[in-house]
Amino acid sequence: MEIFSFDQTEANQQKFQVREHLLDNLKKRFSLHGYQQIRTSTFEPYELYSNQIGTIPQASMIKVIDPSGKVLVLRPDATIPVTKEVAGKYDSFTGHIRYFYVLDVFRQSFYGNGGKERTQAGVECFGEKSAAIDAEVIALAIQTLQDIGATHFKIEIGHANFFKQLLAEIALPEEAMEQLKATIQAKNIADIGPLLESFAVDPSLVEKVSQIPFLYGHPKEVMERAQNVLVNEKMRAELNSLWDVYEMLCTYGVGEHIVFDLGLINHMNYYSDIIFQGFVEQVARPVLMGGRYDRLAEQFGEAIPAIGFASDVDALLAAAANDRAIARPADITVVYETSKLTQALALTSRLRDEGGYRTIAVEAKERTPVYSKHIIQLCAKENNWISGDTVKSFTAEEDIKHFLSHMNGQ
Amino acid sequence: MDQLTIALAKGRTAKQAIKLLQNADITFPDFHPSSRKLVFRNPENTVKLVFVKSVDVCTYVETGAADIGVVGKDNILEADADIYELLDLRLGKCKFCVAGPKNTPPLERVDQLTVASKYPRVAKQYFLKKGIPIETIKLNGSVELAPIIGMADVIVDIVETGNTIRENGLKIIADIKDISTRLIVNKASFATKTGSIQRIIDQIKSGLECSV
Repeated sequence: MEIFSFDQTEANQQKFQVREHLLDNLKKRFSLHGYQQIRTSTFEPYELYSNQIGTIPQASMIKVIDPSGKVLVLRPDATIPVTKEVAGKYDSFTGHIRYFYVLDVFRQSFYGNGGKERTQAGVECFGEKSAAIDAEVIALAIQTLQDIGATHFKIEIGHANFFKQLLAEIALPEEAMEQLKATIQAKNIADIGPLLESFAVDPSLVEKVSQIPFLYGHPKEVMERAQNVLVNEKMRAELNSLWDVYEMLCTYGVGEHIVFDLGLINHMNYYSDIIFQGFVEQVARPVLMGGRYDRLAEQFGEAIPAIGFASDVDALLAAAANDRAIARPADITVVYETSKLTQALALTSRLRDEGGYRTIAVEAKERTPVYSKHIIQLCAKENNWISGDTVKSFTAEEDIKHFLSHMNGQ
Repeated sequence: MDQLTIALAKGRTAKQAIKLLQNADITFPDFHPSSRKLVFRNPENTVKLVFVKSVDVCTYVETGAADIGVVGKDNILEADADIYELLDLRLGKCKFCVAGPKNTPPLERVDQLTVASKYPRVAKQYFLKKGIPIETIKLNGSVELAPIIGMADVIVDIVETGNTIRENGLKIIADIKDISTRLIVNKASFATKTGSIQRIIDQIKSGLECSV
């Protein structure tokens, strides 16, 4: 009889295992921090999203029509339905709720490459607004990146309102304002001045707006430079609130991963305070995005402050690309000759249920595939324990326990 | 020190861009204008230079295949890529124009205006802003031919001197936007390699100021 290792390394299969492993770890991580998993419906009423001005462009949603003519969309974002669920469940919410989700989100096209589906794993923390909560959520985001083995990564922190305050001082037609935002987002310093000058904006304001793209980098330096662009006390307060979060993140010991980007814009208009996104070296897109959205629940009749983030699971996978050590499908293979069938099945079942070992029983053939490093061979004449180069014969089932305890000790 | 990849648009601005990098002490001794090589490294081996088709530079940078790109604003506008546009290199200056036959009537009076262009996105946006509905025809070269043979009413193209337009019996009807070569950066690279990228940009910037 020949035993050969059945190598289950078909690329897709392997990819799937790595992905599931990552998701398991994410779920474990989120629940360790007190978050409970929820799911929302894949189909949502079109109005749920179309009423949220400035979130998901209507043309990018995937719509279906139900028999009554009602338009539904495939969930293009998870935060809105999760918030709706929380707001709908409670009257005058005062508690503290932590939810996490692993859900697919759907758009006509992500990143313009035709992909219609992406898996997001995220958390939403409802009920309290404080620098401590903000820092805790961002620290959790960092933890998920450390969990995948990333060392070289950055979390960019900005504020959803900071430069909008500045823009509020400038009277621009809507179209020009959008163009200005896009220019700021691209840190396109060369085009900001000419754009504003063409609308005869006060030169001191032009100077301040032109500074925004430079408000990027080490939090301390950004804080200093940002003093020059403040136009009111609200901006100062917002800036200081970011600093409070940063100081707390330093206490978490993750300050080195933080950069401030006061020109950061998130396309989801529901963000009201701190916003952030995470980048890992060698991955071209943000691997996670999030922020505080204190006013979103008001749309569903409740005032509930909240902060959350969502990781793009496939981007995380790309970031964890070196981590390809895949477990084999089983811990133990029981190879039996026909006469030992009864014993083999009983043993297999005990190994699974009592020992918790992933076990597969296979009948000995001319060539017998095995799925694990450890093999228990039950032949008419003798029984063997095979593990790598070690082959030990045994008589009583008790001996297996000995081998296994040795194996666990490894 | 991080390894950086710079994608450079092949063509009219390549030589100037290389010179700009040289002024910033980033040299590529192997480079020669007539060389067919597409990848060059500096002697310190910290910078890899790749030559790509100009319309592809934004794609290289947006997907992270290159950290930095040097490319015309015309291609940036057409690509609509999610990137940082950190520096105006003031090279390859020209402008986007609408051009057509000398007898073209005012555009808002043409019904069914057909526009031929290498830049259909830019054309669409411009006419949308003007409130003129158009149909676009995407061409990859010799755009001036389109109105002459009646495939389109007008064209949207980049114009440097206007000679090509004039020699083909066309005239410039409207200016859309000034164009120059820009330095673009991948957002993730900027976050994770801030120091190295900032250093290169500062070097190029001081090189720019010297040359002015």
